[in-house]
Amino acid sequence: MNKPANNLRNAFSTIGKSVKREDVIEKVTGEGVYVADLKPVGMLYGKIKRSEVAHARIKRIDVSKALAYPGVKAVLTHEDVPRVLHYGSPHPRSVSCTKDQYILDDKVRYWGEGVAAVAAISEEIADEALDLIEVEYEELPAVFTPEEAMKPGAPQIHEVGPGGNLVLDPVRVERGDVDKGFAEADFVLEGEFSGGRPMPGYMEPNVCLADWDGSGKLTFWTSTQSSFMVRGILAEVLGLPRTKVRVLVDHMGGGFGAKQDCFQHEFLCALLARETRKPVRMEFTRCETFLAGRSRHPFKLWLKQGFRKDGTITARDMRIVFDSGAYGSHSPGVTTVGTNSATSLYRCENVRLDGRAVYTNTPIAGAFRGYGVVQTYYALDIQMDEAAERLGMDPADLKLKNAVREGDIAPSGHAIVGHGLEACIEHGTRVFDWKGLRQGARCPDPAASHVRKGWGLGCEMHGSSAYPGIKEQGNALIKVNEDGSVTLMTGAAGLGTGAHTALAQIAAEELNMPFESVSVVHGDTDAVPWDIGAFASHTTYLVGSATRMAAAEARAGILRRAAEKLQTTADALDMVDGRIFLRASPDSGLTVAEAMGPTPGIPSANILGRGTYEPTKSYSFAAHFVEVTVDTETGLVTVDRVVPVHDVGKVIHPIAAAGQIEGGIQQGIGHTLTEDYIIDTETGRSLNAGLVDYKMPLSMDMPDIDTVILEAAPDPGGPWGAKGVGEDPIIAIGPAIANAIHDAIGVRFHHYPITPEDILNALNEKERQS
Amino acid sequence: MKQIVELTINGDPQSLAVEGHRSLLDTLREEAGLTGTKKGCDVGDCGACTVIVDGQPVNACLMLAVEAQGRNVETVEGMQQSIDILHPLQDAFMRHGASQCGFCTPGILMMARKLIEENPDPSDDEIRFGLSGNICRCTGYTKIFDAVRSAAAEIRAVRAQEETV
Ligand code: FES
Ligand code: FES
Repeated sequence: MNKPANNLRNAFSTIGKSVKREDVIEKVTGEGVYVADLKPVGMLYGKIKRSEVAHARIKRIDVSKALAYPGVKAVLTHEDVPRVLHYGSPHPRSVSCTKDQYILDDKVRYWGEGVAAVAAISEEIADEALDLIEVEYEELPAVFTPEEAMKPGAPQIHEVGPGGNLVLDPVRVERGDVDKGFAEADFVLEGEFSGGRPMPGYMEPNVCLADWDGSGKLTFWTSTQSSFMVRGILAEVLGLPRTKVRVLVDHMGGGFGAKQDCFQHEFLCALLARETRKPVRMEFTRCETFLAGRSRHPFKLWLKQGFRKDGTITARDMRIVFDSGAYGSHSPGVTTVGTNSATSLYRCENVRLDGRAVYTNTPIAGAFRGYGVVQTYYALDIQMDEAAERLGMDPADLKLKNAVREGDIAPSGHAIVGHGLEACIEHGTRVFDWKGLRQGARCPDPAASHVRKGWGLGCEMHGSSAYPGIKEQGNALIKVNEDGSVTLMTGAAGLGTGAHTALAQIAAEELNMPFESVSVVHGDTDAVPWDIGAFASHTTYLVGSATRMAAAEARAGILRRAAEKLQTTADALDMVDGRIFLRASPDSGLTVAEAMGPTPGIPSANILGRGTYEPTKSYSFAAHFVEVTVDTETGLVTVDRVVPVHDVGKVIHPIAAAGQIEGGIQQGIGHTLTEDYIIDTETGRSLNAGLVDYKMPLSMDMPDIDTVILEAAPDPGGPWGAKGVGEDPIIAIGPAIANAIHDAIGVRFHHYPITPEDILNALNEKERQS
Repeated sequence: MKQIVELTINGDPQSLAVEGHRSLLDTLREEAGLTGTKKGCDVGDCGACTVIVDGQPVNACLMLAVEAQGRNVETVEGMQQSIDILHPLQDAFMRHGASQCGFCTPGILMMARKLIEENPDPSDDEIRFGLSGNICRCTGYTKIFDAVRSAAAEIRAVRAQEETV
């Protein structure tokens, strides 16, 4: 089955419209089932005992008191569980991951790592039993930063891997002749950049529920973005065929990339259920979402670029070190994607890049919206602003001049097909009134001279798939039922983005049937076609294309069946809005229900449409225009207004797409100004694992956002040109804010979060120097 | 030791046997089978568990079930006017894309309902302030503000019409 051509139609019946999301009625009535809402009869509660040291060998672990505690049904330690080395995140069909973890080991590698698990008849009893487990540790020297971890002779955290606490061999990229490029430069900029440890902060704490039946089959409900990946790792580690593991997820309360590992608690929950022969539910506390969740990778980056007087970039040299924490998780992917991203965004033919990920005795960094690119483009975009300043150019003009173009080689190694960055910058410059604002006063109220305004621009591009790191496959199955209704079966997870609605829209559009006739079945690995998981901003692009292929096949089947009934040929027929008619005489025809239903001699039947799609790469683009206020007395930065301009190729559901952009901006504001999960560098303890001390932007902190969605560069690989949007906003907003702060107070920051204290210190320093 | 707590939930008088240390949140979710109210933190930091007790919004994770003795508790499950008529806020949340993952939604709906009841025509700042105890991590709040504004306007319009009749 070939992919349907993106023949241009002027009018779309369903896509491009903000139809009612099919899954939202359950969310607003409270009926939507999240895993923590399930409570099968006889269910036990699972809890995890966590390490209170950062690096140690477990000398002795005594669970006898816990086991004897009334109400406790099982306790598991490293002595009781299968010892199978596995990956945190083995994206299927990918070899880019590191096998470096056991379900439980006789070693702990960070403060907060699980060392034992309990199942009991109530949550309270399980909690109390944790305190009765005695663990004796032999402490090992620990390292809490990549600098320490990379020193010769540093304690080694893992026996596996290339050594030197590296998670993987360094990622090196070289294009052109960097030395020649620097020799041709009129001036060179060089800087060091760094970033903290932002957390995804999804509202639903990780949760799973395991139940085994008499045949030895595991049914496993879990809040995951990648149910087939969870099925795969559970099956491999527990030694089961895939058919003996069924993973279910209906609603989930956010993930933002981080819920695409198979987590330690998921194995333990399954094993506790097997041990007790009862269903066991395990739900993280908010604190555990920090200790055992996944953060963005903290980083250090060194960037040097050569520029000509006309603003051309002659050479780019970059080194980046990602802090992976105690396990590899997504570090191979993040390092590869993050490092490669510096080949592009702003054109440069001579590039030399080196990216590393390093183990430390800190909580695990994993996948998180923006996947390594947040870090790289933060540095790259800020340095472009510096170059503009040096050149006496408007940063928007310099960025526009260097913006990646059609045919340039993308980070993936492909020529860029559609490029929308110029359009985003140009459009935003106009609607934001960039030039006008930047000519205005930085101090709008002379009576309050400590309050300063600034305007900044940040740009980004991001792939709508993980290719070439992972060769993805999207699948869809469509059933046209005997009453003319349509069932779309997809493995794509619904983590809150509205993906299922977008897929239903795509199916309805290609079928040319009403949106309401399409229902979506998802979230059951026994029932739906295999799916790689909802990540890499690829669901609309990848699964959307597969859905469109399936719909095209189903549509052809409907027309064939109608032809039989009308005693004509399928090519004599057309179908519009669910009505089939003869092209030659449009008044005679029949409905899909009539085509599918029985007539004498022809019993009713189903028609199947299948779609399998393996994309290459497309890129989405964005330019964020930001206005900030900086109070130079308190150091407080307020983001007042954001105009995010995004090129998404073709928008399927405008409100859902805008919602992705606005939510990404919220997280990005947090990361840039207030959010940092802090690990004590003496002990490795978590210092702010809670929602009061880890400060996320709330309703009072949000700026006005005037979202602009452009369809500047449709990509032939996506349905009607559609590309991804999930990750883009969080990448562009950070440098836009940092650049706006510079515009307001004339101070450059090369790190995030930029706290009020940083602002005050920098202003004091500036004063001392002048 | 379990105690019997008698309370009204969404108009239904109920008597539930609960341990003295049980929160109202766990009691609603685990004993009363009302899982619409969510647990995002269990320590009063996120607002996902917001319910209305005797007309006042409370974090159900911070209130003991025994404290609800004799009181009137309203949750998201009681918001619909009838099986097929949604509360204007619920409808507005759907239309405006104010619910993404939906985990914050029940709590925000309860808080917003209270806000509109007290202040039928809230300004943008009043909406922001009214929802400042409820974390939503998906939407950036923009669409939530849109939905609350629109539902408030709709409720005002209906009221105005009722008054003229
Ligand atoms: S669960 Fe009650 S405030 Fe978070
Ligand atoms: S919709 Fe996900 S937290 Fe609000």
